Order: sequence, then structure tokens, then C-alpha cells
Amino acid sequence: MSNETSPAGAAKRRQGIDFKRYLTSPQFFLVLIIVVLVGIIGSAKPNAFNGAFVIAPLLTSVAIFTIVGLAQMMVLSIGQMNIAVGNMAAFGAMFTGLAFDLWKMPFIAGLLVGLVAGALIGALTGWIIAKTGVNSFIVTLAMSFALLGLIPTVYTTLSPGSAFTAKPEGMEFLGRGTFLDVCMAGYCGPAAIPVMVVPVLLVVLLVGGLYSKTKLGREILLTGANIKAAELSAIPTNKRVVLVHAISGALAAFAGILLATSTGSFTPAIGNEFMLQSFLGPILGGTLLAGGYISVTGTFLGITLALLIRRGLELFGAGIEMLNVFLGLILLVALSAERIRTVRRRKPAELPSETPPDQPADRQALSSGATA
Amino acid sequence: MSTPILQARNVTKTYPGVKALDNVNLTLAGGEIHALLGENGAGKSTLIKYLTGVHTADSGSLLISGAEQTFSNPSESTEAGVGVVHQERNVIREFTVAENIVLSRTPKKFGFIDWKKVNSEASRCLAMLDFDIDPSTPISKLSSAQIQLVEIARALYTDTKVLLLDEPTASISDAEAAKLFKVIHRLKDDGAAILFVSHKLDEVYAHCDTVTVLRDGKTVLSDAALADHPHDEIVNIMVGRSLASLVTPERSVNTAVDPVLELRNVTTTAGHGGISLDVRPGEILGLYGLVGAGRTELAHAILGRERITEGELLVNGKPAKIRSVKDALHDYGIGYVTESRKEEGVFLDANITRNIAATTWGKLAGPLGVVKVSDERALVEKYVQELGIRISSQDQLAGQLSGGNQQKVSLAKWLAADPKILIIDEPTIGIDVRTKRSFYELIWGLADQGLAILLISSDLAEMITLADRIAVMDSFTLAGTVENTRHYDSMSQDVIRLIHAKAPSH
Repeated sequence: MSNETSPAGAAKRRQGIDFKRYLTSPQFFLVLIIVVLVGIIGSAKPNAFNGAFVIAPLLTSVAIFTIVGLAQMMVLSIGQMNIAVGNMAAFGAMFTGLAFDLWKMPFIAGLLVGLVAGALIGALTGWIIAKTGVNSFIVTLAMSFALLGLIPTVYTTLSPGSAFTAKPEGMEFLGRGTFLDVCMAGYCGPAAIPVMVVPVLLVVLLVGGLYSKTKLGREILLTGANIKAAELSAIPTNKRVVLVHAISGALAAFAGILLATSTGSFTPAIGNEFMLQSFLGPILGGTLLAGGYISVTGTFLGITLALLIRRGLELFGAGIEMLNVFLGLILLVALSAERIRTVRRRKPAELPSETPPDQPADRQALSSGATA
Repeated sequence: MSTPILQARNVTKTYPGVKALDNVNLTLAGGEIHALLGENGAGKSTLIKYLTGVHTADSGSLLISGAEQTFSNPSESTEAGVGVVHQERNVIREFTVAENIVLSRTPKKFGFIDWKKVNSEASRCLAMLDFDIDPSTPISKLSSAQIQLVEIARALYTDTKVLLLDEPTASISDAEAAKLFKVIHRLKDDGAAILFVSHKLDEVYAHCDTVTVLRDGKTVLSDAALADHPHDEIVNIMVGRSLASLVTPERSVNTAVDPVLELRNVTTTAGHGGISLDVRPGEILGLYGLVGAGRTELAHAILGRERITEGELLVNGKPAKIRSVKDALHDYGIGYVTESRKEEGVFLDANITRNIAATTWGKLAGPLGVVKVSDERALVEKYVQELGIRISSQDQLAGQLSGGNQQKVSLAKWLAADPKILIIDEPTIGIDVRTKRSFYELIWGLADQGLAILLISSDLAEMITLADRIAVMDSFTLAGTVENTRHYDSMSQDVIRLIHAKAPSH
């Protein structure tokens, strides 16, 4: 799962160093905490891991929020941020809801309509940022406010109950189905794994592949590392900024639609919880706020950890307020960890020119960087 | 000789795996300009960082006017009278000249800033330098050379007894350097001790009294009188072996071939007027001028980052429409090795593979835009070998390389793109003698392979060594173009005459 999809050179490097790097990576640290947490929760509440009632809903949340995390991670990779990630999710979901309810579209077509709507609103945001040079925080904040007003207006105008509730065939299966519903030759899958996991995994692999394998992903990371140098290296940085925001918008929409299918109705409230969570995953997972380095695996693990803590606290009877205090603390710790990492990364640059040849690079940004 | 103002004794500083300073000694006396020489990575910057309290040393001692001092941060060194002007400009650009000068000790009255005193103090410091500028000017309106003077004024404000200048002339023109030296000599006459770091040996000999040479963190020549050590000897001491003198190859450009790049009467949004020049395949056209003459901006106009409003830009005899560096490369084969490598030339936090391959992914990408890592690595390896870039592996981050190697990475990125026309902007700023030579040889080699090269430099000696013809720019116009005869004296007179004929005010 982890990112060392790294090329020939890294493979040739001595095992010891790779091993050490792996052990000190934020991803490994996350895996460790997750394992410990599962152990603690499991031993304190032995029936906590009931497949159908605990694991399946948890995995559904992990699936949805991983996509939310990736939507934010895309934008973080160019050193920007998307405050409107939740509103874009609502925007995309709204179009899918409209497509089902008013236009009577079949499931897949309606899904595509929502994704395209998300991509377009993202592209518009990216275009404004690229053209005006205004900070992404401000542009996405403005976008967030605009959508916050627009979306409920559309709902109240077009549907009596401020929700789209038509359920075309397939929606229930994707949103609430588990592998128990997938039967072959008399055998059915486990009830603990939601069907939703499959498309989400596919998207995770696609995003990972984009960064680790393709020209576009490499160009996006360099745009994040130093936009001026990227432009002067013949990289069309404006187009990359627009593209990244478009993908972010589409991913946000996807997450919004998944959430709607799992709850059964499309409402203006979809995505309300997305914004804060969207930062949690990437940052816990080692993605740099400054741009230029991402980790898809880390984003997934970060989200998993956050949701596991949330579920754990729920099991122990902590209230929602307590949960939020906890998540705030986690984010603070994650940000401090990022600061420490950034400082450590810069350090070798201060060395007198000739770094001894056998000193391993402290961290491999951009090299094996992208994780699949 | 009186008691030295600054004395560093047996200073040792170790980084993991490297001894950056190894028993280094340095003595600075008042009324003396002391040259600190050495190749890139010899330890000059580390020593300056130690003297100014940025870094602490593992062992060794520091005496200021005979009293032992340990600085744990830069403000302590400022307090003790050690002033520094770093190689990179170090000011707050949003502030005014006056605010920057008094920054470390802003005059206050009843807890509020005493603006009257801020301005009068700043004016006093500027007057000491004979620098005629309104203290309320925002820094952003100043040229790099002017900002440097502001930094010196800032040092004067804190009663500096020792002034450390780290490559102050690296990024300013000869005329501006001449002004700077006037200031330095004045400070020297007032009794200050001055440490002068430079790669330009000519100016070292013209202005310095004593010299210390570092090599691999060791003092290989300590506090010697410069007059006792001729130029060649100093170079040998720095390099650690004798270096054969540079031989300029016989260059001949086929003038029968049509130019690949041609500007006809070009006016740009950057402010250029009526510029005409051309470069042939295999030719090195020098673009010389003072800082602020509009050379880099002209390069940017060719690359479409500034618009050409009148006149024509021709590539291979046909009008070219270029809107971005991407167009320039992909449609017309024009590459641009940038002036400031750290900000624009390399990605400091990215590895060598990604740095050099950045321009080639379009070529390497297969279906779905997938780039095969092995192809990418092989291509990069080729240029690492060809340019002799010293790296431990392609996974190393560019920020960990020395300046010279970073510059080679920046050049390699463009060679990998296989351009027909290469614009090279100030390739050897802050680069030591030996690396500079390997650069010269590389550039000649590229021209021999048929590349048309437009070389921007404010180092006249470099221009005369490298260029086949020299186009001289002054305040965004072309003062004239001269054939290079390679006779330094007559050439430099020709060039300077051109600038003066154009603008008598200089």
C-alpha cells in the first residue's frame, strides 16, 4: 500500500536506509496508532467490532471521507487550499439529486451530471485563482459563501421538502449495500464491507497513479514546489492550477453524492462536516501544506485514524462536543508535526555545499513522493 | 598594528558527516579590507554565520576588541558591533528605507515610535555613505544595488566596528560596484575592519589589503598581505593544485547561415524601445549592460512573459508568436536558463530526477501521459554525466547541492529539452573559479554543436571570454553591437564608450 513505488535508484539503495526511512515515515506512525487504537477499543468493548453494525458504517465513513481528504489533498499539492470543499460536495450532490428527481435520469447518468457539475465549479474557482492571482483561501472562501446561499435556494425553489428523494435503481446498492448483497454461486460476501469501498478504492488508485506515474502529476507537484520556477520550466502552471481545482471539485462532488446515497436523500446539508475533516486526513498523513509533496496512502490513513477515534469515543459514550475538542487537538498535533518535518527537510540545504555522498536525503519529496 | 578588532581562533564546526570549519583562524584589524577567499563549499559562509551568531561552533573562541564573546543569536553580534551584508538581500520590502535602517533598534518616545528620530537617524547613516535617497522611499522601489547600500547604512546605524560583506558585488554591475567600493574605502579610512568575500579576484586585488584563504574548511592561507601573493598563486592555493590557464578556443561562426533568432525594432511592455539583434546557429551573442539595463526583461519579452507591442520577433526567419515559456520551448525550441537559480532555476525541495526531467515529460510520456521512471532516470543520468554534476544519487534534493552544481542542474534541465536557441542569464554568479571554467567550456561546446546562444552577463571579463559578438544595452535600448576581438583592454573601452555615448549621465 505504501508509497515506495520508488524507482530503480531507490531500490538500489541499501536496505537499511529504506527500512529506517519507512519506520520514521508519518504513514508508518499512523498505522501504528491505528493498530494500538483498534487493540484498545477491541479489548475494552469486545462487541465493538460487530461487522454489520459497527465495521460497515465505519468503512462507509472512511470511504466517503477519504475522497473528501483527496479533494483537499489535490489542492494542497499545489500549495493552495479549498475552503469550499463541503459546498462543492453539496453543489455536485444537488445536481445529481436534480437529475434523479426532476430529470428522471438513471443512476449512472445522474452520478456523472453531479461529477461534471463539481468539476466545473472547481474549474471556475481554479480559473479565478490563476487569472487574478488572489490567494486561494480568499477565492474558495468567497466561493463557499456563494454556494452556501445558492444551494438552499435551489432546493427550496425546486422541491417541496427541501430534499430530493427519488431513488433510481442502483442508488441503494451503492449507498447502503454490502458484500452480503453480492452473491455468486450461492456464496455471499461479508456484511462488514460496503459496496462503496470498490469505487472509492478505484478513485484512490487513480489519484495515486496520477501523482506517481504521469506527466500531469509530476507537473502539478513542481507547480506546488515553486510555481515561478515551474512556469519558467515550460510547465503551463495556470492550466495545472485550473485542472487541480477541477479534480478537487469533482472529488468533492463524488463524496457528496456518496454521502447522499448512503443516507438516502439529497439535502442542502450535505458536506457540512467536510471542510475541517478534509484537512485532517492529508495533514495527518504527511501532505505538506506548502505544496510539492503529497501522500495518498497517508491521507487514507489519516482519515481512518480520525474516524476511528471518533467512533471509539462514541463507543465510550463521549458527547459530540468532546469529539470536536479531540479532533481539534489532533489537527494541532498534526500541524506541529508538519512544522517539524518542514524544518528537518530544510536543514540539509544549510549544509556546506558538499553533502557527503552517503548521507541519505532526509525525505524524498517529489521523488518517490507520490504514493499509490 | 593595534589590537585587532575581531579575532576568531581555532574555530571548528561539524555537521553530520562534514567538518565545515576545521581549526579556522581569522584576524581583522581596523582600517583594513580583508579578503576571504575560497571555492564554493570551502566554508566561507559557515564562518560568516559563526561570526554573526547564526550558528554556534563546536570549539574555538571569538574576541571582539580583545574581549571574548559568544554569540548565540544575530542580535548579540549586532550589539557587539559586528555588521553583515549577506549575499542575498535581507530587508523587509514592505518597509521604507528608514524603517529598515533602524529596524534593530527603533527609536521610541513614550513607548511609541519616534518617527522624527527614525528619519533623522536614517538620513545621518545614508549621508555617511553619500547615498542620496529619500529615507521614506519604500524598499520595493529600489534596485538590488541600492538595497545593498541600505543594508550597509543599517550596519552603520548600530555602530558597526566590523563589517562582513558576503559577495557584495555578485549581482550588481561594475559601475555600481565602483560606487560600493568608494563606500567601503571610506569606512576603512574611518577605522572599520572589513571582511570582503568575493569570487572576483580582480576586485580583490584592486581593493583588499590582507587575505585569508579557506579550503575544505581549513585555513590554508591566514591573514597574509595580499601584495605578497600574486594572482596565480592565490588561485592555486584556493584550488589546492595548480590550474592551467584558461585557453579560449578558436571560435568561428559561419556568417553565411541565416540567423535563427532575430529581433527587428522591438518595443515591449517592459519598456524596451527599437531593439534589433540577431543570433546565428553556433554563435554566442553576449548581451551586456548594467543591472537594470533591461537585459533579463528582454529575455522575458522573447519568451512571451512581456508583450512585444511593436516590431517583430523572428525564429528561423518566420514571425514567432510566443505567449509563454512553454510555447517558446515546444513551438520554437527556445530554452531559458534563469538568472536566479534558487528562486527560478531549480526546485530546491525536489530531487535531481524531477529537476532535470521537468522539461522532457512531454517527450517521455506514453499513453495516458504515463512516464516510465526508468526512461526518466536514464535521460537524467546522461546529463548528470555530461555536465559532471556531483550528486550522491538522483534522489538527492537540489537544495542540498552547492551553488555550482545547482546551476548545472538548471542548465541540464534545458539541455535535456534539446533546444535550438538557448538564452543563458548570468550563469556564473556566485560560482568559484574552477566551476566557472567548466561552465565556459560547456557553453563553447554547446555553441560548437550548433546551438544559438544568447548570453546575458554583467561581468565584462566573462563576456569578452565567451561571446563572439557583444550587444550592449542601456536603459532598455540597444547602445550598439561590437565584434569581440578578445583584447580585454580595447574591448572594455569600446563597451564602456558605447554605454557612455548612449547615456552621458552614467
